[in-house]
Amino acid sequence: MYNYLIPLAMILPMASGILMGLLRNNSGRNILFAETLAATLLCAVAAACTGSGLTTVADMGVFAFRLGADRVGHLFAILFSALFLGAGVFSLEYNSHDDHQARFNGFFLLTLGAMMGLSYSQNLFTYYFFYECMTLLSMPLVFHEGTEESMKAALKYLGYSLFGAALVLFGFFYAGQYCDTTNFAEGGSFNLAGQAHLPMALIAAFCLMLGFACKAGMVPLHQWLPVAHPVAPAPASAILSACITKAGVLGILRCAYYVFGAEVLRGSWVQTAMTVLALITVFTGSMLAYKERLFKRRLAWSTVSQVSYVLYGLFQFTPAGFGGGLLQAVFHAVSKTALFLCAGAVIHQSGKTQVHELTGMGKRMPVVFGCFAFASLSLVGIPPFAGFVSKWSLATGGLSVYGTLGIVGAAVLLISAILTAGYLFPIIIHGCTEDAEDNTPLEPGLRMLVPLVVLALALLALGIFTAPLSGLTETIASISKEVLP
Amino acid sequence: MYLLILVLLPMAGGLFAGIAGHRTPKTDVPISLAALGLEWLLCLGLIPQTGKTLDLPDLVGLGLHFQVTGLSVLLCVVAATLWLVSGIADREYLHHDKKTARYHLFLLLTEGAIMGVFVSGDFYTTLVFFEMMSLASYLLVLHNETEEAREAAGSYLAYAVIGGMVTLMGLFLLYNALGTLRFDDLPAAVAAYEGNRSMLYAAGLCTLVGFAAKCCMWPLHTWLPKAHPAAPAPASALLSGIITKGGVFGILALAAKVFVHDVTAGNFLLLFGVITMVWGGFMGLCHTNVKAVLACSTMSQIGFILTGTAMQCLLGEENGIAVWGTLLHMMNHSWFKLVLFVTVGIIAHTTGKLELSDLQGFGRGKKQLFVIFLLPALGIMGIPLFNGYVSKTLIHESIVEYIHHLSHAGMDIGLYKAAEYLFLLSGGMTVGYMVKLIVCLFFEPNHDSAVQAEYDQTKPAASPFLMGLLTACAALCPLLGMTPHFTLERVAAFAQGFFPTQGMEETVAYFSPANLKGGAISIAIGAVLYVVFVRTMVRRRDSTYCSPWPKVLSLEDSFYRPLLMVWLPFVGAVCARLAASLFEWLAKLVNKLLFFRFNPIVTPPENHRFANYDPHPKGRRGNLGTLNFGLTLFGLGYVAVMLYLLVRNVVL
Repeated sequence: MYNYLIPLAMILPMASGILMGLLRNNSGRNILFAETLAATLLCAVAAACTGSGLTTVADMGVFAFRLGADRVGHLFAILFSALFLGAGVFSLEYNSHDDHQARFNGFFLLTLGAMMGLSYSQNLFTYYFFYECMTLLSMPLVFHEGTEESMKAALKYLGYSLFGAALVLFGFFYAGQYCDTTNFAEGGSFNLAGQAHLPMALIAAFCLMLGFACKAGMVPLHQWLPVAHPVAPAPASAILSACITKAGVLGILRCAYYVFGAEVLRGSWVQTAMTVLALITVFTGSMLAYKERLFKRRLAWSTVSQVSYVLYGLFQFTPAGFGGGLLQAVFHAVSKTALFLCAGAVIHQSGKTQVHELTGMGKRMPVVFGCFAFASLSLVGIPPFAGFVSKWSLATGGLSVYGTLGIVGAAVLLISAILTAGYLFPIIIHGCTEDAEDNTPLEPGLRMLVPLVVLALALLALGIFTAPLSGLTETIASISKEVLP
Repeated sequence: MYLLILVLLPMAGGLFAGIAGHRTPKTDVPISLAALGLEWLLCLGLIPQTGKTLDLPDLVGLGLHFQVTGLSVLLCVVAATLWLVSGIADREYLHHDKKTARYHLFLLLTEGAIMGVFVSGDFYTTLVFFEMMSLASYLLVLHNETEEAREAAGSYLAYAVIGGMVTLMGLFLLYNALGTLRFDDLPAAVAAYEGNRSMLYAAGLCTLVGFAAKCCMWPLHTWLPKAHPAAPAPASALLSGIITKGGVFGILALAAKVFVHDVTAGNFLLLFGVITMVWGGFMGLCHTNVKAVLACSTMSQIGFILTGTAMQCLLGEENGIAVWGTLLHMMNHSWFKLVLFVTVGIIAHTTGKLELSDLQGFGRGKKQLFVIFLLPALGIMGIPLFNGYVSKTLIHESIVEYIHHLSHAGMDIGLYKAAEYLFLLSGGMTVGYMVKLIVCLFFEPNHDSAVQAEYDQTKPAASPFLMGLLTACAALCPLLGMTPHFTLERVAAFAQGFFPTQGMEETVAYFSPANLKGGAISIAIGAVLYVVFVRTMVRRRDSTYCSPWPKVLSLEDSFYRPLLMVWLPFVGAVCARLAASLFEWLAKLVNKLLFFRFNPIVTPPENHRFANYDPHPKGRRGNLGTLNFGLTLFGLGYVAVMLYLLVRNVVL
């Protein structure tokens, strides 16, 4: 039944992405672009609603190409396609004066195709395949502007990504030895050979997760992120920050909970090391964001910090931490998209890129700054916005697992939240309460405003009516429940 | 459902007023007044609902839990009344203001949020609404958008955010240790707690911080003397009168639900309560800005309330007297501050000034204004026959009773004796600074006779309706104070259910010689302080007023701001940069080692088009050498492979 929905969700954006380069008619191309994004979202939602699944697509010698969807897959597929739709609609106006709009649209769609593939991958090989695709296909988004700086940034992005991918590959080989299968199975499939070589297996798991953590921007492999995000056009930065980092998160999640299994890693040195790295990242990212003066780079550092909140949750290897991590992944993706799009709206309308230049901008573009305020409140974790809920479950989850490290973890999360307030609130305050030299209204057009408003309201709605989403994440997370002591 | 409407009605009204006022100016005023009036009626309707609870497990993560206790009813009614009166007052102050729509939006949001705090049934719900209240009221402080207001609002926001986060940390710890945050379940959970008790104290201390910052407990009070002069007067009345009580509510919940009859917590609270009380009173004597004096007075009175809360912990089961004192002083203080701030607001609105030296002699011959100001002032001083006397006497009596208990048990009473003396001293300070205000505003002629002549001509810029309303509010002070057994005690008995108490065993003879003596001592100290301190140090020879307190000793400017803005970020940034660049350095080192005395094997092509796109390619194959083209081909191939695999799978 409906098994075509999952392939369709992948093929649609890819095929349409190829077409983008061939179409000469601007308006027709833009319509196709938006329609493809909407259709992809529809496919993803329909696939989730009908619960369609698909398993082995092709055997290629040792490797099998497996696609299908479980709840995690559906969740991420819907999240990715929804955010791509928002950023895509925004980009129509943002890039309207761009000579290379077709190229941007094309790679944007191809990246989406790869990300849909990531969501629907059902084994490590397929995941790795799409992961590399995503890296290569999203690279043109980084150097879209074509400046010297953006090319350097893109090469840095490529370098870090490949290094991370090499670590993943190393771990992948060993995972194939120590697990019955590298297919994603709930609770993992760690086997006797793995038990016998536990130290080596842990090293393999560590490498796998560290490699994926490179995409998620975890210290020490985070340097590409503050370099690559600011140079990309705003919709692309939004996607890089919100979605591509989540590909790393999804990879870690699959390795930890679906390949090795949480009970193998719980209490091991891998857990301690990864948690400590995640906490260092949470602090480092916020602190450097606080010190940063370039608007988009500040947001990029903020991503470094916030994605590691997710990782802190995942590395708890308990249902509570897993669920909290997933919630934070969703909420961060939505709020960071909104923030980057706001930054894009400001840059597009006024050309201002430094934080101190934003004084008085809120009075000129009130709706944009209103959305920025909503997203900031959520990112800081002020109730009743969404971020508060995830922060609560992450911190209480950590406390119940770790003891002293949990207290340190909760404290780091809150210090980072204070810093988050410190680097986001002044933008709103100076923007909205001080007068600029020039007070002409600068509000952008509807194609920019509608995605922003929808995202901002979604954050409020998700924060107040959390039950459906948190119910879903709890169901997903319950796979690691049986083995709890 | 009723509770949900109680919380949401002002918020909805605020949104409505904000949008309407944004579209067509001035429409926001009637809408917000209507919302305030309705909310007041709703709060009155809360009285028969006492004891009801409401569970909304699906909202905001952990779920919201509401509960109506006597305390919530009392605070809700007080809050709604204050909001209504200040709403009526701001209609006149903000007459020429263009930003009223925003003001009303946040005024009503704050009201809804504080209702949520007062009817919350667990700490999680308290925190959710407390944070909303903090952030919404930030806009009230900022409203005037002057340099001063910006600075004050900055402090206020910093306290709100940092305090809120520390409280959140405390709640994490509490929740982890006890497994529940519900007020009803907490006492049992604490009794059953078997872990390390210092963990509970740490959790309690963290939780306390945010609430303490909001109710300006020393040393977290520095936002207060800045915020009040900067905010519009009706907003100051609310900040002082009731928003501080949001913080007190949290502390009361901690004291009555978590640290039930706990001596350590009681002593800790007593220490800080006494410091707050004395320090606030002293700063009140020093300050020369009318609103700043009233702000410090708020701090001092909150110190009285905290002292009462502490005695409530210390006295154990027989703490009825402390509970009553705390409750009544909370209510009375809100009332005084409402009338005082709105009156000062009228004066400030008429003259545009707030410094005592400028306002000197403004009230000479303005009888109604004098009465309105005098009655609550007498009340806050604790003059017998006024309501402040009753509540202060109750708190004083509770200290005396505890000393009595201790001396019976043969324990050391020295420190508590000191607390009692400091209590009387603070009462004296209250008298001192209020006398300072009254004498300066209503008796002394201005040091500049031209200004005095002008003041004699001006009338307070307030409608007769507002003046009448304020007179009625002020008249309540002696009315309640003269009939404590019929009014105040009934209110206290109604609201005491929140506390672990047996209630009062016997009534207090407020006008017995022993109790009158306490009042008399305070008044005498106040007179001495006024003559010795105010007349010599604060009031200059040329009869202007100038604060003797050096600015360098400001806790915020000399310590908190440098600490938070300079030192900590510096240390943090050094650590963060180290952590962030270690790997970069490592990579560079490896690079240097690998290519030591060799040229790199792979050199990126010098071709500028390697990763670039030529907008106008030369020749037909202009773009073929670019990475773009390569990646496009890759994408094509990838899609082709995918299509093949999928089609094969579907066909076979």
